Amino acid sequence: MGVIKKFSGNPCRNDGIGLSLKALTAAALILPGLFHPAAQAAEDDEVDFQYSHYQEGKRDILESETTRKNNANPIEVESIHGGAKISLTDRIKFAFNYTQDTWGGATPIDSGPFVAGANGAIKTIGIEEIDSIGAASPLISHRVFFDKNLTPYKQILKDGQFIHVPDKRIVHTLAIASPETRKQGDFKLGYEWDNAAIDIGGGISLEDDYESRFGNLNGRLDFNEKQTTVNLGLSYTNSDIDAILDHDIGSYGNESNFNQYIQVIDEETNTKKIIGNRQDWGANLGLTQVLNKSASLNAGMSYTRSTGMLENPYKRVEYFFIDPDQTPNSEGLLQGGSNAYIEQRPHERNQWNWNLGYSQYVQPLDAALHVNYQFFHDDWGINAHTFEGDWVQPLGAGWTVTPRIRYYSQEAADFYQPYFFSFNKRPSQRDEFDPALLQQNYSSDQRLSGFGTLSGGVTVAKQFAKGLSLEAGFEYYTHQGGLKIGGGGEQDFADFDYWTANAALKINLAALGRGASGSDGGNFHNHHTSHANAPAGVMVAHTLDKAGDIMLGYRYMWNNQDGNMLHQDSAVSLANLQNKGCFSGQGHFNTCLAAPKSMAMHMHMLDLMVAPTDWLTLMLMSQFVNMDMSLRGTPAFTGGGNLAHHIANGHETGGIGDTGMYGLFKLWDNPSHKVNLGLGFSAPTGDVDIQLRRAHHQDGGFVHYNMQLGSGTWDFKPSLTYTGKADKFSWGAQVSGTKRMESRNKSGFALGDMFQGTAWGGYDLTNWLSASVRGVYTWQGRTKGEYPRNKIDFVPTPETEACPNESFIIDDGNGNISFDQAGFNQCIVEIRNANKEGLKSAIYTDDAAYRSNPADLASNSGGQYVDLGLGLNVNIPDGAFAGNRLAFEWLQPVYTRQTGYQLDRDGALSFTWSYGF
Amino acid sequence: MLTNIDVTIILFLTILLTACAPVQPWERGNLAKPQMALDPYPLQSALRAHNYGSREAAAGGNAAQGGGCGCY
Repeated sequence: MGVIKKFSGNPCRNDGIGLSLKALTAAALILPGLFHPAAQAAEDDEVDFQYSHYQEGKRDILESETTRKNNANPIEVESIHGGAKISLTDRIKFAFNYTQDTWGGATPIDSGPFVAGANGAIKTIGIEEIDSIGAASPLISHRVFFDKNLTPYKQILKDGQFIHVPDKRIVHTLAIASPETRKQGDFKLGYEWDNAAIDIGGGISLEDDYESRFGNLNGRLDFNEKQTTVNLGLSYTNSDIDAILDHDIGSYGNESNFNQYIQVIDEETNTKKIIGNRQDWGANLGLTQVLNKSASLNAGMSYTRSTGMLENPYKRVEYFFIDPDQTPNSEGLLQGGSNAYIEQRPHERNQWNWNLGYSQYVQPLDAALHVNYQFFHDDWGINAHTFEGDWVQPLGAGWTVTPRIRYYSQEAADFYQPYFFSFNKRPSQRDEFDPALLQQNYSSDQRLSGFGTLSGGVTVAKQFAKGLSLEAGFEYYTHQGGLKIGGGGEQDFADFDYWTANAALKINLAALGRGASGSDGGNFHNHHTSHANAPAGVMVAHTLDKAGDIMLGYRYMWNNQDGNMLHQDSAVSLANLQNKGCFSGQGHFNTCLAAPKSMAMHMHMLDLMVAPTDWLTLMLMSQFVNMDMSLRGTPAFTGGGNLAHHIANGHETGGIGDTGMYGLFKLWDNPSHKVNLGLGFSAPTGDVDIQLRRAHHQDGGFVHYNMQLGSGTWDFKPSLTYTGKADKFSWGAQVSGTKRMESRNKSGFALGDMFQGTAWGGYDLTNWLSASVRGVYTWQGRTKGEYPRNKIDFVPTPETEACPNESFIIDDGNGNISFDQAGFNQCIVEIRNANKEGLKSAIYTDDAAYRSNPADLASNSGGQYVDLGLGLNVNIPDGAFAGNRLAFEWLQPVYTRQTGYQLDRDGALSFTWSYGF
Repeated sequence: MLTNIDVTIILFLTILLTACAPVQPWERGNLAKPQMALDPYPLQSALRAHNYGSREAAAGGNAAQGGGCGCY
C-alpha cells in the first residue's frame, strides 16, 4: 500500500485506501473512530501483516539513593495487525482489519516527593536474588516536613541528632501490570464516483477493562480538475470502562472520590470496580492541493468533543494535608500527611487540531520531502506543537530508505501537578472524602504535564516482484521536561524513552495476479502445489511442485478448553481438586485455591515456503500467540481474602511464539501418490519467563506453564506424510512428533515430547470446494522440571536495609556533604549482634512455589487425546483471486485422558489462507 | 474561537491556492510517484500514532485509551 502503481487522477489524493487503512488502525489504537479520512479508490487489492515491538526504558526512581533496586521490567508491547482491502466492484471497496496488542510491565501510577518514600520494598522471589528489592506498589504513606515555600525536607542524622535538610526531588511510584491483551476488529465500506467518494466504517475494541465501539462517515470531493480535494469526516466513539480497583493500592489510597462510579462486586472480599462511560464525537475537514508539477500541500482541522469518564481510573494523586493550626517544629517546618486519591479530571473536553503539510519532489535524487506542522489546543489548558519531517529516498532495485524526525512540545493541563497540597487538617479516616478539601480537578498523569519529545527513526522498504513488499522500521523516542518549548517543563523524574521496531509484509493481490498470469494465470496457480487439499489442521502436509516456486501462508488456530476439571478421563469435583490437584511434594503448600475455568489459545502463523530444488521445499514459520485463562475458586477459596481480586480478571499473555524451520523432502511423487519427509526445528523465540504482577509486597511468580509463549527449548519436529488423489477423492495420513532437545529451558522446565498420528479422507464437492473428515490421535508427554522455588523462611536482617547509607549522609544545607561513619559503624555492629541472637527478618516464602492452581504444577500436564475433524477447503481456480486457497477445520474432542489434574477440552478451529506465486 | 494562528493559516492557504498554476494530468508524473504519497507507510504511521497517542496529551485524546492497569 502506499504505492501508486500508475497515475490515475489526482495526485493529491490520500494514497488510495492506504490512508483509510492507516486511519482505521490509527483510530483503533488511539481514539477509535476519530479522524478517518475518506477511503479513496483502491489502487490495488491488498493483504497485509505487521508485527511490532515497543520497549520502554527503565524509569529512574533514584534507586541508587536507597537500598531499593528497580528490577521491574518496564512496559513492553507486542502487536500484530492483519488486514485486507478488496474491490467488490469497480466502485465498491471493502477493507477490514484485525489488530491485537499484548502489554505488561511497570508504569507510574503517581508521583510524590522522594523523601516521602514511594516504591516500598518488595521481596523479589523467583530466579532473582532473594535480597534484591523491587519497585512496587505501596503508595507514599509517610509524613513529610515542608517549609513555608512547600519545599519537602528529609531527615538525616547529624552529631547524634536528627535534623532536616531540603530535598526537592520527586519520584514516580511504579505499579506493575500483568500482561493484558486488547483486540480490535474494524471495517470500511466505500463507494466511489469519478470525482467523489463516500464511505462508512465501524469497529470494536475489546479489553478486560475497556470496550470501545465506533463508527464513522467520510466523504471526499475532487474538483478543479482534481487539483483540489476536500475531505470531510464525522465519527463517534462510545466506550465503557470496567476497571477492577487494585486492592494492593486500595489499602494505601482513597477511592472515595469515585464512590458514585464504584460498584462492590464481592462484598466478602470488598472487591470493587469502577464503572464508567465516555463518548467522543469528532469532525474533521481536510484539503489537499496540487501546487505545481513537483509539490502539493495539505491542510486540515479537526474538532473532538469528549464527555464522560475521562480519567484513567488507575492513576492516583498524592495530596498532602498541612494542618494550618499545627505548631511548626524547632526548625520552623510544618508536617504534611498524605492521602492518595484517584485522579479527577473534568468530564468534558473540547479539542481542536490544525495541521499543515507540504510535499516536495526532489528531481535530482528522485526523492520526496514531507514536512508537517500541527497545532493542538484544548480547554484543559493544553497547547501543543508537532513538527515532523521525512525524506523518502528510492535507491533502485525496489529499495527505499526513509529517515524521519519528529519534535513535539506541550504545555501542562491546568489541573496537573506532580503532587498537591490542601491546607486543611488531614481527614482522620483514610477513606473519608470531603470535596471541599480538594481542588475541583487534579491529576499527576505525566501525559498532562509540560514536556517535549524528540524522536527519529528510519524505514527500509523493499518491493519484490509479483506484488510482494517488505517494510521494516525502527524509532527511538525520548520524553523530557527540558525539551518543552519555552522551558518550564516537568522535572527530570518524569523523563523516559522508548524504542519500537516493526516489520510488515504486504501482498498486492492485483499485481500477483498480473505477475503470475502470463497467458493463463489461473491455470498456473492450480498446478502450483499438488494434493494441497489436506485439512486445515494438518501442518507440513504438502511440498511445492518445482524449483523456484514460492508460497505464502497465513494460519490461525484457536484451541479452547472449558468445562470440568479432569483427573485422567473423569471429571473431578472442585472439592476433590482442592485437596489433590496442587500437591507438589512435602513441605509445599498443597491446597488448590483456584482452578482454570476456561483457557483459550490463539495462534497466528505466517509461513513462507520456497523450493530451491524440485525435491526439497524449505519452510519458515513465525508465530504470534496469545492466551487467556479465566479462573474459578475452589471451596477452600471461600473467605480467601484478597484472592477474589486475583481471579476476577483472569490471566492473559501474548507475543511472539517459537519459530519453526522445516525441510520437506519428496520421497515419492507421482500424480496419485505422494510421500514427503519433514525434518524441522523449532527455535525458542517465545518467552518462557512471563510472570504475574507483584501484589501484597510479593512477586506474582511465573504464569501457568501452559501460558508461556514458547517451549523455551530447541525442539526437533520430524514428520512423514502420505497423500493420495483419484478423481474427486483425496486421502492422506501423517505421523509427526516433537522431541525436546534440551532437558531444561531458562525457566527450569521443559515441555513434554509429543507424538501425533492422523488420517483423513476428502471429496471434491465442486471444482472449488471440497470437504474432509479426519481422525487424530495425540500423545503429549508430561512437563519435566519446574519453575525455580524459594524456600527461605527467615533471613538475617540485611545490613544495607537496616543501615541505609542515606541515613548517615550529613548535609549542612550549605552544600557541604559528609558521611557519618561512626554512626554507620555503630548501626552495623548493632545489626550484626541482633542477627547473631537470631532476631531475623521474615521473608515471604510463598512465591511461585505457592502453587494454588493446578495449572502451576508441572505434573499436571500431558495426556492422550482423540479428535474428529471436519473440514472445508476452498480453491479459487480463476478470476481475480485465482490461486488463493482457504481452508477451515473444526476438531471435536472425542476422547480426553489428562495426566494429573487438568481442564477438559472444548475443541479447536483451524483456518488457513495460502497463496502460491 | 479564531486565534491568530487560525488567521495565519487561513491567509497562508488563500495565498497558496491563488498561487496555484494549473497542472495538467499529464504533468503529474512526479506527484504520482510512491514517494510523493501523503503517507508512504500508512501501516507504520498507524503504529507510531498509537505510541504518540498513548504518551502525549495532544495526539489522540485521553490517557485512559487502551489503558488497563494504568499501563498506558
